[in-house]
Amino acid sequence: MSAALAALLDPARTTADGPVAGYVGADVPVELLTAAGYHPVRLSGSPHEDASDGIGYLGGGLDPAACSVLTRLLHGGYGPLDVLVVSRDCEASLRLFYVLRELARVEPAVALPPLHLIDVLHLPHRTTTRYVRAKVRGLRGWLQQRCGHTVSGDELAAAVAAHDRVRGLLRAVGELRGQRRLTGTEALGVVAATTRLPVHRAEELLTALVAELPGRDPRPGHPVYLTGSSHDCPDVYTALEDAGLLIVGEDHDRGDLLSTMDVGVPAGAADVDALDLAVAERYQHNGPSAPRAAIAERAAHTAAALRGRGAAGLLSYVREHDDGPPWDFPAQRDAAGVPAAIVERQAYGLIDPSELDRALSALGVPAVVA
Amino acid sequence: MSAPTPRLPSAAAATAHQRQWFADLHRDHTPGDPLALVNADAPQEVFRAMGIPYVVNQWWASIVAAKRRTQDHLARLRERGYPDYTEQYSSTALGSAFDTDPDSAPWGGLPTPSLVLAETTGDASRKIFDVWGAQPGVTFYPLESAAADTVPERWWELMPHRWEEAVGTDRLDLMVGELEGLIRFLEATTGRRFSEQRFTEVMALVNEQEEWNRRTRDLIAAARPCPIAVTDSIPAVMIPQWHRGTVWARDAARRLHDEVADRVRAGAAVCPDERVRLMWVGRGLWFDLDFYRRFQDRYGAVFVWSMYLAIAADGYIRHVDPDSGDPLRALAARFAAFSDQLYTPPWSAEWYVKEARTHGVHGVVHLVSDDARGSWATTRALRAAGVPVLELHADNVDARRSDPEHLDGTVGRWLEAEVLPRTDG
Ligand code: SF4
Ligand code: SF4
Repeated sequence: MSAALAALLDPARTTADGPVAGYVGADVPVELLTAAGYHPVRLSGSPHEDASDGIGYLGGGLDPAACSVLTRLLHGGYGPLDVLVVSRDCEASLRLFYVLRELARVEPAVALPPLHLIDVLHLPHRTTTRYVRAKVRGLRGWLQQRCGHTVSGDELAAAVAAHDRVRGLLRAVGELRGQRRLTGTEALGVVAATTRLPVHRAEELLTALVAELPGRDPRPGHPVYLTGSSHDCPDVYTALEDAGLLIVGEDHDRGDLLSTMDVGVPAGAADVDALDLAVAERYQHNGPSAPRAAIAERAAHTAAALRGRGAAGLLSYVREHDDGPPWDFPAQRDAAGVPAAIVERQAYGLIDPSELDRALSALGVPAVVA
Repeated sequence: MSAPTPRLPSAAAATAHQRQWFADLHRDHTPGDPLALVNADAPQEVFRAMGIPYVVNQWWASIVAAKRRTQDHLARLRERGYPDYTEQYSSTALGSAFDTDPDSAPWGGLPTPSLVLAETTGDASRKIFDVWGAQPGVTFYPLESAAADTVPERWWELMPHRWEEAVGTDRLDLMVGELEGLIRFLEATTGRRFSEQRFTEVMALVNEQEEWNRRTRDLIAAARPCPIAVTDSIPAVMIPQWHRGTVWARDAARRLHDEVADRVRAGAAVCPDERVRLMWVGRGLWFDLDFYRRFQDRYGAVFVWSMYLAIAADGYIRHVDPDSGDPLRALAARFAAFSDQLYTPPWSAEWYVKEARTHGVHGVVHLVSDDARGSWATTRALRAAGVPVLELHADNVDARRSDPEHLDGTVGRWLEAEVLPRTDG
């Protein structure tokens, strides 16, 4: 294995670099956190831990990944967080925010970091841009209050440029997936690492990875493109790849979708207002994600991305209580032009073996006898 | 045993009006003419002012459910590869779009709308409308739904006049922009005109209607025993609500008020042996409306509260400053945070507590469906205020999961164990 890949996939290498900003959801503008001097860490759940406390607050009808994040937060599972920023990338994140806000109001004994919602919306209209810009400004103002200094245009421009470089490198890693140089499970781990490492460390390791990978032998497996739910842990990827698939791309925001667009430092930048707007437009238009985008937009994106990676099949994996993806699937299947299958209402971190066999045969892959 | 109180005339009148209105719609509607399908919390006042007829998505779902046709509607979604297990209350009407036998459909079927309007809430609801928008002749117009980082707790005191403060300027700016876009779109695609004068009248009629509902709610809160059944107040409030902005709807709300006032004066009672006053939190149990009566004989337990009248009383009124106010901004304030009032803590939680107190309820039955929002906070706040709460896990339209025997047993055991001991003696 390449040294950079090993370093990226080793979570023990993550050490906090200054005050830590935990965040929920891909709609949190991480460049603002970096510019304010925080080390942004994206919060993930775990299907291997009991999440009943989180389910108690969020209810049994909500994405178990969000219930897991809440449980971990309540039990201090992320270590000390100096602030917590929640986006509204999906309904579950918004409800998680509401529960946290209510807990802070009525149960002050529960230790929670200072909390802020960033309400990034996604309709492609000017009215939406103005709103998102106001929300970006609001987040910047709130962070400035907490960290005690005013973010300068230069600081924000530097943070934007750094995170854009990481996105560019992630896209380069994506190209290498098209050449089968790393598995989907590895790619998922690489993206995850970039959401918990300090941005400069992520950039160093990714730069090394992109230099090392072209020399690697192609990975085996039947190449498929994965759509449906987002994956905050590798279990399902591992199960799919153990069954003979190679996940060459995906359209969720813990994979390829995290880095489809850059912010871009506006010409003659260093003006914070111009940067706020650039950040707002990037987060408004990044996507198209399953919980937020139109069916037609998703189908077009999925079909194009699938062809770009040379996938021979389309698999939609949908976790229980993740309500958006099953509505996308019929149009994605029609647009894909390759065999397609869906497995729905799967338990968090698992894929039902008989559903997997059914999907494999629909995709034209012989079932692997375990 | 006393005879149950007769059906409230205004409830019967509202139901009859709705039937007639829908029959007239069938008679007058030519396919291709402007007709909207809108969500219950959408800014219907724009359509009212422009004379564009609309059908409320959730109302239609309740009709389908009352005719016990929800399952075959959901099956049509499944046949087309769409899920039949998410947001059934919003997706039922889409099943009507795929009806191959409209003659057998409830009420002669749902005419195909030219426009569907919905907010982009939830992860599935905008997708349901995307599918609508893919049907021939149907356009989907999505509206943003914004969320606030902080909100004032006692919103019901602010909303009538100080709505800008309650909802927040960013959200209102966005929603006004959205409404201006919607109006321009409707002007361009339907040829109808948006008259500011007409719109001002519509907004005034809505405020008058909801003011009558507010007085009615206050009467019922104070009356002992409870003068009307929730199964009467729901149609008597909701049908006029779907017709809000008309003289008929305003007058229907006044008629309901006058009937309730008469009953209170006469000491009329849903259950003269009223011993337990209950509050129903959640959507109506459309497939089993009889549920609300079944605890009267055995326990003297009466449902005195449902959200439909209470949210009409507190959730809609948005007065406009006659000199400087913008009625469009007031409309934005009516719907920008509408569902927050019912489902987002602290707004929702504190409001249910306020209503439980003013109605003097002994217990709350809280319907928690899969897509319920904010239910932990609601239950917690009520219990913290000393009100026993039963969480009933069921779905309000999907009767597969809501067997009456199970529901009755659960409520009965809870009444015996938690509520009655606190009321006797
Ligand atoms: S992948 Fe599974 S085992 Fe590893 S951290 Fe995530 S949840 Fe735990
Ligand atoms: S218990 Fe209530 S409903 Fe039943 S007969 Fe007596 S008064 Fe009427």
